Formats: sequence, structure tokens, C-alpha cells
Amino acid sequence: MTSILECRELMKAYGKVIAVNNVSLGIGRGETKVIFGPSGSGKSTLLRCLGLLEKPTKGSVYFNGVDVYVSKQDLNKLRARIGFVFQEPSLFRHLTALGNIMLGLKHVSGLSDAEARRKAYEALKLVRMEDWVNYYPAQLSGGQQQRVGIARAISMDPEVVLFDEPTAALDVELKWEVISVMKDLADRGTTMLVATHELRFAKEVADEMIFMDQGQVLEVGSPDHFFTSPNTERARKFMAKILG
Amino acid sequence: MTPVEQIVFLLKAVPVTLAISFLSFLLGLGLGVSLAFMRIYGIAPLRYFSDSYEKFFRSVPVLAVMLLLYFGLGPLLPIFKDPFFTSVISLGIVSGANQSQIFRSAISSVGRTQMLAAISIGLTQLKALRYVIFPQALFLAVPGLGSEIALLIKDSAYSFIIGVIELMKHTDILRASQRSLILPYISSAIIYVVMTFPVANYLDKWGSRKKRELGL
Repeated sequence: MTSILECRELMKAYGKVIAVNNVSLGIGRGETKVIFGPSGSGKSTLLRCLGLLEKPTKGSVYFNGVDVYVSKQDLNKLRARIGFVFQEPSLFRHLTALGNIMLGLKHVSGLSDAEARRKAYEALKLVRMEDWVNYYPAQLSGGQQQRVGIARAISMDPEVVLFDEPTAALDVELKWEVISVMKDLADRGTTMLVATHELRFAKEVADEMIFMDQGQVLEVGSPDHFFTSPNTERARKFMAKILG
Repeated sequence: MTPVEQIVFLLKAVPVTLAISFLSFLLGLGLGVSLAFMRIYGIAPLRYFSDSYEKFFRSVPVLAVMLLLYFGLGPLLPIFKDPFFTSVISLGIVSGANQSQIFRSAISSVGRTQMLAAISIGLTQLKALRYVIFPQALFLAVPGLGSEIALLIKDSAYSFIIGVIELMKHTDILRASQRSLILPYISSAIIYVVMTFPVANYLDKWGSRKKRELGL
């Protein structure tokens, strides 16, 4: 399958610290892939490089088969086609839920106010937040904020959505609000690359799981593979720890 | 003059004092916002310029700037022979340095994640600054701006030295024409308090409430 988004031999260093080292992976249309691994394993940095929010130190990022940095494409336009959901709720705090979504539709997609409003409402409905359109982020729970964040990402009709541990900052009850929305998206065929520790979610929806440790991809396989017989000792131990 | 007539005479100068304060605040706002963005998001030479400007004009008395422009540049550039114009420019230049510091701290408080989130939906950095960072920074800056307005209203009194007919000048005229030295100055002080305190107090409370409501 041709990848929509792909990285080859990607390396990202901050000074002498190497956060991601020689990672190559891709995600094809309609696929859901889960990246997991211990904290500090480089998942977030990898996603930020793939989301074009950080420039890799070495290696390439391909979007629809074109090397993003060699072809010198307009990164802002490409970013609009790659949805990104952050670990911490990152809604614009001065705007309502509706306003958060309308902003990109108006000022990036160039929709009229009425059209942006209609589309933003549809996106909020998709994440079951249509009753909260006029609420400000501070008036919403962490789970609700993340759902609006997901609506903001998908409202731009991205070709792929990257999730950077969207439930990490939430308590158990709120986590499942968000995970159930993500499951719906996967069922609708949304292309998703998800960094998460929620292995039950991975088992249910992932086409492939990618285990990272110390900035490198150690093992790739199906959820069945990881849940039954991971190859590496490190992945085995991590699975055991997470699953209790 | 009866005390009432004295107060009426003083009040007649209030519009000029407010005009100087308001116009210099606007000039300072434009300068302050630009300098703050330059300092945080600008390339190295702009950052250096902004930093130097802020440090220099926060250290120089506004009266020194006013006298320099009026007596130093006035003979060379006729526009600075106009006392009202020179007052507004002097106060605005110095206020720009103060407001730069207010906005720099406000922009920093908005946080890097907001910029990343804005860029992630495809906004250019300029649009992110305009639609995401600046509106939030403005809410955060409001209490500081309230104090700055109060400071400008008070500092506008220096304008009287270069000949602007404003509240302090009227106070001085009254002092010269009356036997009592105290009454004109006390009346004038009360008028300054009435002009500055409610504005600073209201903006401080409004800004704090907005900050709380929006979780900034």
C-alpha cells in the first residue's frame, strides 16, 4: 500500500540528546497504526516530525510520495492536511468550542463564516460535543476539551490524523470518552497514527503496532503478535507492565 | 476666584491632559506590541534592537526625552517645535518600552503549545500571532496596561514644562494668581486621582476576571 505519510531514516536530536534515531515507517490510507513504548522513547518527537511541527535533524518525511523538505512545498498547506491532536488539551482559550474549529476553516480553508459554522458544528456533532458549542475551554472537562481538539483536527478534512497520547493527561473515566470517539473515527476509515499506552484500544482498532524504546523502533507487528508473543524482551516486559 | 471657579478653571484643562495621555498610549501600544513580538519571534537583529530599545527607554526619564526632542530637535525639525506633538511623541516612545515589557511577559504566558496548535491546523506564523497569540496576550496584558494608562496621565504633567496648556499648567496659573499655594495643588491632585484610579482599578479587575474565566 502506498503511504500517505512516511519517514525514512528519520533522526531528531536536541543538542547532544538524540530523541529519535533512524526511524522509518509509513501509514497508508484507511490504516490505524499505534505507536507505544515507555515515556521518553521518542513517540511525541516522532509524531511532531511527521506532523511537520519539527524539522528532522536527518532523514526525510514524505507526504503522498513527495519529500516534503526537498520539494520545498508550503509547509502550512501540508500541515492543514495532517491533523494533529496534542497530549495536553491545546484549545485556543479565548475562543468557544465552535470558535476553535471555525478559526482554521475560515483562515486556512477560506470558508465563509456561515459555511465554517456549519462545518464546525458537524465536526462537533461527530465527537458528540454539539451541546457544548458555545462553551469556552475552561468550562469543559479535560475529556471534552480533547474531543473538541479531535473535532478541530478532523474538521480540516485531513488525509491523516496524528494523535500524541491524547488520553495521557486524563483520568480513567474521561479517557474512555476520548477513546470511544477515536474508535468511531477508526471505524469510519480515518487514517490514524496514534501514540498511546491504551493497549486495549490498540488491540481493538490497530492494523499494526509499533514498539519504540530509546528513540528507535524495536519491533513492529499486529496486535495479536504483541499480545501473544512479542519477539524482543523489552517489548515483552513493557506489555506485561502495562497489562498488569 | 471662588473655589468653584478655580475647580472649573482646572477642569477646562482636563481634555488636553486626556488627549496627550490617550494619544501617547496608542503610540506606545503600537510600539510595545511590535517590540514584544520582535523580541520573542523576531530574527536576531530585531531581538537585539527590541531588547536595547526597552532597556534604554525604561532607564531614561520621560522629561529628558521631552526636553531633548523639544529643545534639541526642535530647531532642526520644525515638527518638534509643537509642544503638544512633542509631548505625545516623548510619552509614547517611553511608554512603548514599558508596554513592550508588559506584552512580552503576556505573550510568554500564552505558551508555546498554543502556537504549535495554531500552526498544526495550517495557520501561518503571522496568522497564528494575530488570531491566537495576540488576543490571549491582550487579556493577560490588560491589568498592566491599566497601570500604564495611569502612569501616562500622571506623566503628561511634564508637558507643562515645554508649554502645553494642560492641567498642571492651569494649576500653575492658578497658583500664581492666588494667595493660597495649597488649594490649587490639592484640587489638581484630586482631579488626577479621579482620572487615574478608576481606570487602573477597573482594568485590573476586568483583566483578572477574564483571566480567571478563560483559564489563562
